Amino acid sequence: MEPAWVALGLSLKVALWATGIDLIVGVAVGFALARWRFPGRELLDSILLLPMVLPPTVLGYYLLVVIGRRGWLGGWLERAFGIHLIFTWQGAVIAAAIVAFPFVCKSARAAFESVDAQFEQAAKVLGLGAAAIFCRVTLPLAWRGILAGTLLAFARALGEFGATLMVAGSIPGKTQTLSIAVYEAVQAGQDDLANGLVLLTSVTCVAVLLLAGRLAPARIPGRS
Amino acid sequence: MKWNVAVRKTMGEPLHRFELDIAFASDATRLVLFGPSGAGKTLTLKAIAGLLRPDQGHVALDGEVLFDAEAGIDVPARDRHLGYLFQEYTLFPHLTVRQNIAFGLDKGWRNPRRHVDSPAVDRLLDALELRPFGDRFPDQLSGGQRQRTALARALAAQPRALLLDEPFAALDMPLRSKLRAELRELQQRFALPILLITHDVADVEAFADDIVQVDAGKAVFGATFAAPARSGPI
Amino acid sequence: MTIRAALCSAGRRRRLVPYLAAIALSFAGAPALAADLIVSAAASLTNAFTELGRSFDAAHPDAKVQFNFAASGALLQQIAKGAPVDVFASADQETMNQAERQQLVISGARVNFASNSLVVIVPQDATSLPTSLADLGAPGIRHVAIGVPASVPVGRYTKAVLEKAQLWPAIETKMIGAQSVRQALDYVARGEVEAGFVYGTDAAIMPGKVRIAFTVPTDTPVLYPIAPVAASTNADAARTFVAYVASPAGLAVLARYGFGKP
Repeated sequence: MEPAWVALGLSLKVALWATGIDLIVGVAVGFALARWRFPGRELLDSILLLPMVLPPTVLGYYLLVVIGRRGWLGGWLERAFGIHLIFTWQGAVIAAAIVAFPFVCKSARAAFESVDAQFEQAAKVLGLGAAAIFCRVTLPLAWRGILAGTLLAFARALGEFGATLMVAGSIPGKTQTLSIAVYEAVQAGQDDLANGLVLLTSVTCVAVLLLAGRLAPARIPGRS
Repeated sequence: MKWNVAVRKTMGEPLHRFELDIAFASDATRLVLFGPSGAGKTLTLKAIAGLLRPDQGHVALDGEVLFDAEAGIDVPARDRHLGYLFQEYTLFPHLTVRQNIAFGLDKGWRNPRRHVDSPAVDRLLDALELRPFGDRFPDQLSGGQRQRTALARALAAQPRALLLDEPFAALDMPLRSKLRAELRELQQRFALPILLITHDVADVEAFADDIVQVDAGKAVFGATFAAPARSGPI
Repeated sequence: MTIRAALCSAGRRRRLVPYLAAIALSFAGAPALAADLIVSAAASLTNAFTELGRSFDAAHPDAKVQFNFAASGALLQQIAKGAPVDVFASADQETMNQAERQQLVISGARVNFASNSLVVIVPQDATSLPTSLADLGAPGIRHVAIGVPASVPVGRYTKAVLEKAQLWPAIETKMIGAQSVRQALDYVARGEVEAGFVYGTDAAIMPGKVRIAFTVPTDTPVLYPIAPVAASTNADAARTFVAYVASPAGLAVLARYGFGKP
């Protein structure tokens, strides 16, 4: 069962990194979509939602084309910095981050929109700058919704398979996540291994859900 | 306090346009904007506070220009040192009464803590009879307590003037008279100029040293009013 | 009677039943034609068998062949778990032996129908060309695409060859596991790996994108077997297809794609 623990560790590492990136970028973009009006706003919103509806293999293909050695981004990275993303855990993080991004962005936007702009106006008149208002008023009132989206994003990143397989391959210890390990075990007829991996994955997901339940405190002040 | 306000703004969709075109000047310490709902009173107040950007015009208080469209001056709301009482009080629901009042005292990135002693906050709690409720959250307060908390919060930052948006509209009649008296007493104690907007005549009688009547986005002048002095920015 | 009327009328539950039944039946799908033939074939046979299927359909109008291409190991698992397959064609003897051991195919009707070569390919724009297995150990070769040996025959051939040359431990550290031989081909075509092990027939499919560096002699010849599946409900059609593949007509099609005689 040793390869199972390695795969679990890798899955968690990839999912945590991907969710972390999504949290920062998703909250920023969600805030911009919620608070600023600009032409093409709804179009941008739809484009950013695409990873949620595109099949993972389609996403994997686009990624391969863009960040692969011959892609415009991948080729530039290789020429300028010697960075290869394909077949690395960093590539797996990118694939997972992209498929999970809409969960954070969408929930962040909805959470910010549900915060009455008048609270921010009150803080403004009381003398606070924009960053202080965001940290002290907007975020505390919106974090619950953002957290819900972030947990979904983490679960999605943990289970990501199609795009990851195409971009990162399946290198044990480096890019073979739990989902891919299950797939290969089934392909090879290694039912015992497959059963063990599936059990491990299920237990991990239940643990994540329990942890999420403890993070949200019982009392919700001020919300009628 | 010398109030000198002249603002114009067009708002809304082509089919539901609203034209705000208000101009007034007054030396009164207690100024009341009086008019029916939807007349544009709140918009005017927000323009003075810096929460709304007029298309044209100017806003000057005691000679200091806060806004001048032609000269390109627009002092941000956070630097205008005005207290604002919102119609629904807009107390921060995730903070206690104490924290709400202390909110404007520190402009940093962290909210005031729940159990820190601050003599300034204590004084305001006493002045507005909120001591017993200091650690409650806004959803645990009555209407009158909320209004007093909002007042205390606005006063804590030591503003140069207080802007009040229909402060008594959400309260029942007996409470209104009581709180009117309290506000008058507070205003005198702190020697604070106030600009109050209302559609209730009783408020006018209780407060107004001077009145501006507003209707459909325009100012209609009261009896004590001279023609607006459109003095240029100083 | 309209659905709305059915819902509003007094006996609505009784009258809804025909509508619900119709929806349920449409979900069940159209029944498969009696003569539909499902053939699971190794990934390297994709192009050749697709053409074979067309000429088989033309010659036998009452049958229609459906193909399922994947790595031989994956196909075996599907059949073992009960997939309704009629014919199984794998890329190596070992997978078919496993099928026989699990009594999934009719051993008596098993036939070898084609042979192939194992080659090392490099991307079209590769700057250096390895000429032997030992060259693959050079530092300039960072990644080598090899089929996952547990389920992909080309990977098993590769591992056997490298183990014999005592190069397997060194090359395994550079290995990028492919889920099928076609995925290995794709990795090389995209330039994501510096070299890859595929069949000669696969290299011929992408002439502009990959180059054959050298052919690898294997101890066990690369021999493709085909057999009808034991649990098939189309036993006659299955045998007919197997016979067609091994016939001169079938072999001619296979030869066009580079497959050798069995």
